[in-house]
Amino acid sequence: MVFPRVKKLKARLLQMYNLLLDYKKTTSKFSEINWLLVVLIFGLGLVGVAMIYAATGGDWLSGARQHFYRMIFATFFMLFIAIIDLRLWYTISYPFYLVVLVLLISVDLMGVTVNGSKRWVDLQIVNYQLARIQPSEIMKLAIVLALSRFYHDLPRWRVSSIYGLLGAFLIIFVPMFFIMRQPDLGTTLLVAATGLSIIFLAGIKWRLLASFLIFSIISIPLFFIFGLQTYQRERILTFLDPTHDPSGASYHIIQSKIALGSGGFNGKGFMSGTQRQLEYVPENRTDFIFTVIGEEFGFVGSLSAIATYMVIIGICVWLSVQCKQVYSKLLILGFTITFALYVFINLAMIMGLAPVVGVPLPLISYGGTVLLTVMTGFGLILSAYINRDSKLPSSKFKN
Amino acid sequence: MGDSDRHNLVSINRRAALLGSLGAGVFGVLSSRLYYLQILKAEDYRALSDDNRFNFNMTIPSRGRILDRYGNDLAINSQNFSLVLIPERVKDIEATLLKLKQVLSLSTSNITRIKKNINKHASFVPVLIKENLDWGTFSRLNFKTPDFPGVIPQVGLGRSYPNDGLFSHTIGYVGSPSARDLQGDKDPLLKQPSFKIGKTGIESSADKLLRGSSGKLKVEVNASGRIVREFPDGNDAPKNGQDIWLTLDSELQKKAAELFGNDSGGIVVMDVLTGEIRTMLSMPTFNGNLFVSGITQKQMDELNNDERRPQYNKVLAGGYPPASTFKMVVMLAALEGGIINTKDKIICRQKVNLGNRTFHCWKRGGHGPVNMRDALKNSCDVYFYELSQKVGIENIASMGRKLGFGEKFNIGLNGLKSGIMPDPKWKKLKLGANWKLGDTLNASIGQGFVLSTPLQMAVMVARLANGKASLTPNLIIGQNLSKFKSLDIDPSHIAFVQKSMLAVCEEPGGTAYKKYGLELGKLQIAGKTGTGQVRGISEQERRSKLRKDEDLPWKLRDHNLFVGYAPFKNPRFAVSCLVEHGGTGSKRAIEISRSILKTALLRDGISAGKEIKSSIATNV
Repeated sequence: MVFPRVKKLKARLLQMYNLLLDYKKTTSKFSEINWLLVVLIFGLGLVGVAMIYAATGGDWLSGARQHFYRMIFATFFMLFIAIIDLRLWYTISYPFYLVVLVLLISVDLMGVTVNGSKRWVDLQIVNYQLARIQPSEIMKLAIVLALSRFYHDLPRWRVSSIYGLLGAFLIIFVPMFFIMRQPDLGTTLLVAATGLSIIFLAGIKWRLLASFLIFSIISIPLFFIFGLQTYQRERILTFLDPTHDPSGASYHIIQSKIALGSGGFNGKGFMSGTQRQLEYVPENRTDFIFTVIGEEFGFVGSLSAIATYMVIIGICVWLSVQCKQVYSKLLILGFTITFALYVFINLAMIMGLAPVVGVPLPLISYGGTVLLTVMTGFGLILSAYINRDSKLPSSKFKN
Repeated sequence: MGDSDRHNLVSINRRAALLGSLGAGVFGVLSSRLYYLQILKAEDYRALSDDNRFNFNMTIPSRGRILDRYGNDLAINSQNFSLVLIPERVKDIEATLLKLKQVLSLSTSNITRIKKNINKHASFVPVLIKENLDWGTFSRLNFKTPDFPGVIPQVGLGRSYPNDGLFSHTIGYVGSPSARDLQGDKDPLLKQPSFKIGKTGIESSADKLLRGSSGKLKVEVNASGRIVREFPDGNDAPKNGQDIWLTLDSELQKKAAELFGNDSGGIVVMDVLTGEIRTMLSMPTFNGNLFVSGITQKQMDELNNDERRPQYNKVLAGGYPPASTFKMVVMLAALEGGIINTKDKIICRQKVNLGNRTFHCWKRGGHGPVNMRDALKNSCDVYFYELSQKVGIENIASMGRKLGFGEKFNIGLNGLKSGIMPDPKWKKLKLGANWKLGDTLNASIGQGFVLSTPLQMAVMVARLANGKASLTPNLIIGQNLSKFKSLDIDPSHIAFVQKSMLAVCEEPGGTAYKKYGLELGKLQIAGKTGTGQVRGISEQERRSKLRKDEDLPWKLRDHNLFVGYAPFKNPRFAVSCLVEHGGTGSKRAIEISRSILKTALLRDGISAGKEIKSSIATNV
């Protein structure tokens, strides 16, 4: 029994090595990259640089410059991932997921607590610290990879079977559980929503979906009472009733609405936002950066920004349609959904349509981890598109 | 690719389209929300944003000065050297305060107050460490500033009173508003840190005028409340407090204080034509600056333990028997009532028996037969005992009131006493007893129930000197401009009293006689002395002849009184002078009064001045 396993593993490694060598072949596919998408992404990143520059009162050194460098690096990284053969990602989908899961569990066991949340883990050899990483961020990628692979391998008729349901449920729920324990409500919801969307896309029966939704609606109040930390509950209560404001949490929403609204049609002009200058909107370099766009560029500027996001999302959906593999389709759509959820939740929060949950606006907000996650996602999307015609191993369960 | 696969891919596409349209829906919702916020509600939010952005800070008016009649400073805003600390710029507050202790004195209570204030305000709000620093300390601190980051020496405006406290009783002083002040006065200025309001005197009674009103300063503030920019606007400038000009003459006041020396008492000099008070001094005085800068317990004890009661305004709030100075009232009451002829004589045998009580004249052996003029000149008590019985208390009291006794004058100050001009009704009401003839006798020589303030006595002489108008005193220039009522006393009677008063001062034998007493050539002074008894004189003392006022302890000596005016012809100034426990004979009060009248006349440069000069010239 031992030998076949070793043999199998050896074959896998060889296969992966070959895939890496295939990289030379993929360079020829460089021209297949959807450059419009790349330009839009990089453009939004530059908007981010300008907005961080404005948010910090015209200080190039307190974030703008770093965001600029990060953007350049992340773009190259995205392109690098894009030209790697998709089969590599397919092969490592599960191992990657497991490694990230282990990291996530290690956060729970020996994570670093910052601002009351245990989200980080230090990677170290003996006493030398290599990096401090946030496994929940990587999990957003890993979960999409794992689910796409799971459904790619699963024949359609088993999607709604016990096996199909249980598998998907495990892939989603186990990491969700640990993310919730950190606690990180925003990421938990993001992961859950992404996972659910992929299950939906994979073709779960409407009946099951409906009954799950009904179940969720019933369990939300229970979750609200038992599953949330006090501060999370406060935020939701504050959102539902702005006058309920024991900690001044609705101050954020009110001030950010004032910033947006006072921008009017044209905005107050670049570097001229008073709400921004006078520091009325907190976190305006990170989560609340859209208020700077809204205040300084008005309705015109903010609508353009949202439209750009929508175009990016639309292009991605269009890319998925052209793919001929379940894996690549689900992978593209999964990342697109993650990205879209980031954007929608952030904007809804800033416009006072959703509670303050600490979700940044991807590409524009200052912050390295999210940028890297999103750009890796786009790299994978591009990779899936470039390899839209390549054959992936078929499911062993096929018919 | 199998059929099932194709079906699967199509299904995914279909569902992706579904999710895509859901996303488009969300996009629509977000866009319409943006439209709502940025287009429909833009005006509202712009207003809110301006609300955020701009604040109106209160600007503090500078307090009006108090000046004397010639524009000399009595209360001013002077540079006030203080030291403040900006908490956010200080690394270690504890250590800094300890180090500061080596440069200037900081008590433990000071330090606790500083720490309390640090915790109370945002960290960029300066907290006062100490104010009213002297120049030496301040310059030393300026020199050492680099050693104390976050500690800043400041020059501000504080209230200060030059003239060594000569005007403290009149002007009063300012202080931080008390809880009660804050309750009664809703002016937001009072809540400003280190804002001071008048506590006593003119500072208190004219506080509203002196204070002015706060201005507004439009400032741009950031979220933490720090001022980022200021937008000064002329219309919103604070209205500074008005200057208040007093009728006082600070040189004359200084002279009066010099004359008093260490004696306790009070003096009022009044213009007999206008009622303006030229000098109003209660001695000893205290330094009002102490109360502004924060008086120490030791200084407070010193003031409180002084038996001469420096803080007490003897001129306005003291109640003293007018003693013999009241005799003019009885004279006029008798003359107006037609009760006696000025030539009628009454025999003074040193005492008058009334029932089982005996009323004495001050002169051993009595004056013998005296007419009215001599009775005043020699201050014969028996004459007035006898006269008062004929006149009756009602007439005396009504004449007393006519001359200002029992009246509370409005001179723009609080705390004036009305004294007591007693009559049977008053005694019934206050003491529940019937008026006795003995009370009338006592009242006739300004003793017994009669109490008055030095100001009232000054008003009395001023009215007598003026003869026509019922003068009222006037302290603030521009106030009380209404015409005086007529005095309504027969001018011939007034003239008679005036001549009698002249005899007191200018005829040999008069109780206040001194040759050329005024030392201003022919100019003459008219007046009346008084000796206010502090205690009763026992029969035994009277007989043993041992009662010499100088031998008694200070507290038991008689009060010295003198009221008078000068010049006799064309009177200009009236004076009333009280020397507490100055001893019998009124020597001190007479000396002071003569000297002050002389100075007042010499300082009165215009019409009277010429006359004085010419009269001196003709005399020499």
